[in-house]
Amino acid sequence: MERVPVQTNVLKANQETAAENRARFQTEGLLVINLMSSPGAGKTTLLETTIKGLKGGCRLGVIEGDLQTDLDTRRIRALGIRSHQITTGTVCHLDARMVARALTEFSVHELDLLVIENVGNLICPASFDLGEGLRVVLCSVAEGAEKPKKYPVMFHKADVVLVNKIDLAKASGVDLAELISNVRQVNPTASIFPLSSRTGEGFSTWLDWLEHSVATHSAATLVRS
Amino acid sequence: MHELSIAASILDIAEARAREHNAGSIQVIRVRLGEFTNIAREALEFAFEIARQGTLAQNARLEIEIVAMLVECIVCQGVNHPERTLCLICAHCGFPLRVVSGEELQVDYIELETEAERLAWKEYRYKQMC
Repeated sequence: MERVPVQTNVLKANQETAAENRARFQTEGLLVINLMSSPGAGKTTLLETTIKGLKGGCRLGVIEGDLQTDLDTRRIRALGIRSHQITTGTVCHLDARMVARALTEFSVHELDLLVIENVGNLICPASFDLGEGLRVVLCSVAEGAEKPKKYPVMFHKADVVLVNKIDLAKASGVDLAELISNVRQVNPTASIFPLSSRTGEGFSTWLDWLEHSVATHSAATLVRS
Repeated sequence: MHELSIAASILDIAEARAREHNAGSIQVIRVRLGEFTNIAREALEFAFEIARQGTLAQNARLEIEIVAMLVECIVCQGVNHPERTLCLICAHCGFPLRVVSGEELQVDYIELETEAERLAWKEYRYKQMC
């Protein structure tokens, strides 16, 4: 038998496509967010409230990932925002190639911000780089305080953690401070924003941060060019 | 069940390498799998059984080496194995801990049947038949 060294990352093919996506986003000065959460944490509602809050201040596009239906895309389009639906069939995550294909549906150079709403799942999407600039993980108070401990890889890789549905903390019997402390334990450096998409509580801090990130990203691109 | 796409990627990488060596078959695929990934060993082994059908690795053994998770304090630089309840804040100084290992997902090596072995096997079978 002959032993042949390989030493190749199993996700190499995905990472190569993600690097191509990332290079393209950088050239176009586009900030791309990979938005991940468990099903029902409120990704689409968060997007709706964010879109309304931005008041057309930045040119936004949305890619929606779901196993089935284009319901989410329709909700986003109803707000006058360009949106494309990827239906994965049975696949539990988006990968870089799916995003590359979806990009043909957008005039990327006309956008400042692209949000990719990943398939609702706290496990698989953590392994697949899409070429994003920011990894945003959303968790809701109603899921309990233990989610970051149970899914540490996902929370560890986040740049931003949004803690949604804080208006339901009391009704869910969840201690918000404990939930935030659990996020901190697996990710000491992430920016954390507690908020409620329904009541708007905490939303202005998140919107300010997001607008600032889009602006600095565009400025950095201008400087580079 | 993303282990199925992981298994398919492992096979793609192994087969490409085996073809570079004009190998008739792959006998062993060795994979390094970090503790701090979302890949479950048993699910990967199960997915591999399905995905290997009809490939050069049809009869291959999948060997999985689990790589322990190690963390290091960016300030006091002590390396250690994290507690059962994962906390990436240094117990001594309160600064963030960096993951040193445990995020690996790599095809380490493959073992191939050489041309000489294949011919020897053929000859052996032929002699048995005569």
